Amino acid sequence: MSRALAIASRELKAYLLTPGGYIIIALFLVLVGIYFSVRSFDLGQPSSLRAVFEVGTWLLLFVCPAITMRAISEERRLGTFEALMTAPVSEAEVVAGKYLAALAFLALMLAPTALHVAALELYGRPDYGELLSGYLGMLLAGSAYLASGVLASVLTTSQVVAFLLTLFFWLTFNAGTRILPQHVPQFWADIVQSLDAQQRLGLFAIGLIDTAGIVYFLSLTAVFLIAAVAALLWRKMP
Amino acid sequence: MIVAQNLTKRFGRIVAVDGMEFDIPRGHVVGFLGPNGAGKSTTIRMITGFLPPTAGRAMVGGHDVVRQWRQARRLIGYLPESAPLYTEMRVRDYLAFRGRLFGMRGTARRSAIDRVVGHCKLAEVRRRPIGQLSKGFRQRVGLAAALLHDPPVLILDEPTVGLDPAQIREVRALIRELAGSHTILLSTHILPEVELTCDRVVLIARGRIRGQGTIKELQQSAAGATQYVVETDAPRAEAALTALPMVQRVDARRLDSRWYRITITPRADDIDLREQISRSLADGQSVTRELHRLTPSLEHLFVKMVADAETADAPAAARNGSALRPAPEGADAGAPGQEGTTP
Repeated sequence: MSRALAIASRELKAYLLTPGGYIIIALFLVLVGIYFSVRSFDLGQPSSLRAVFEVGTWLLLFVCPAITMRAISEERRLGTFEALMTAPVSEAEVVAGKYLAALAFLALMLAPTALHVAALELYGRPDYGELLSGYLGMLLAGSAYLASGVLASVLTTSQVVAFLLTLFFWLTFNAGTRILPQHVPQFWADIVQSLDAQQRLGLFAIGLIDTAGIVYFLSLTAVFLIAAVAALLWRKMP
Repeated sequence: MIVAQNLTKRFGRIVAVDGMEFDIPRGHVVGFLGPNGAGKSTTIRMITGFLPPTAGRAMVGGHDVVRQWRQARRLIGYLPESAPLYTEMRVRDYLAFRGRLFGMRGTARRSAIDRVVGHCKLAEVRRRPIGQLSKGFRQRVGLAAALLHDPPVLILDEPTVGLDPAQIREVRALIRELAGSHTILLSTHILPEVELTCDRVVLIARGRIRGQGTIKELQQSAAGATQYVVETDAPRAEAALTALPMVQRVDARRLDSRWYRITITPRADDIDLREQISRSLADGQSVTRELHRLTPSLEHLFVKMVADAETADAPAAARNGSALRPAPEGADAGAPGQEGTTP
């Protein structure tokens, strides 16, 4: 575990020492800020970040693949992967380290939006329960997106391919869970519908902490991380 | 300390490394010598556990590098080819990170970093980002990272590539300094490097071992390669030299209107023919302006080995594995390079 943390802290510092990390943060905050000032921070609007969370979940779909696209692909391209994998470090420790760093970066990126909360507090009475629920939803969905991004970065040595792979997967996944239920028998439709990530996120955005939702996103995270470890181990099959 | 048993790696239909067998005893410095693409890096990657072998196995310090990978890797300090590093990190932070990967904590880690920073002369750049460092410094940072956990085994893939002559000399001196207390395996395609740093040599071409032993043993295995070179103005020199009992072959070449350059191949290597040659040329009138002996250099051996591997890569030559004689004797008499290969 201490090795995973060593990898995570190195990775997080790398995000913060390179311009890429700041560009991602800036882009996210600018878009969220615009949305906040147009939709939430206005006369007659409820003192809530519901609108921000709604657009935020869509933004995460683009931002998370950008965070993780370099995770392992870049190490393999530069050859540092060889130095890493010849240290007494397991594949699981590497994947865990990369994932934890990405999650910490996501939390750092969300942190400045607390300013929006402060603005709400100045001019209204926001419901902190709902806000916390919204942030939890962002982190949970982000966790699943990031885990899938780590998997993609194991599968290719190209950052662009890793980014697009993750993005297209989720766009297809989301579209699929929306469209498919109308065309399949009821039994399957129920199953597919229950996989709809955006719908589950919507519940968190309005302040509904759904245990099923938590389990859903954590399960997705676990599946992707295990797949990433398996993909790394597969590389070592003779 | 480092053992390869039938170590084999195939990439699809390409056989990169084919049935390597060697056993490097503790405290030895062994050089992998071979042309580019011979399979040196692939072999090293299998020994360090980065690439799984298709067949056979590698062991370091008695640990199988695949099954007991964690124990084996703790014993190895590895400098990969071209020393890949995180360019955004500072030297000190990078070494601290490597220390954490090897489970080193607190003061032990700090003192280890101080030790390798001193050893590899990195004190002046320890706070600089690696991306700003010259190639020579980066190579030393890679070496410092390999030495950090004080491993008994050092594996260095082309440690002097891309360095200037002064830096190459420093790295070689460092390797010699570490030699006594470490088992070192280094790969190179630079011949003087092996002669200067290694006790033993493993010659590799096209994924197979073409010869191994001490440099002396390898030179002896190239018997029949000693030659004598004479420059004289005696017109009948060629005939006189051919008449000598121990001479197998004489090649004369006219340099200009006066001088001849004559290459003499003896029948055996163990007798010094210089005196006889000198005597047979002394006729009271003609002048001999040069006479020297060419012993087979590692370079000659290397070129011959590569040529043999290219042409005679038949199944018969295949299992020549650990044989000391990479090719039939006298297969290419007259081949040693002219000037420049003089010992």
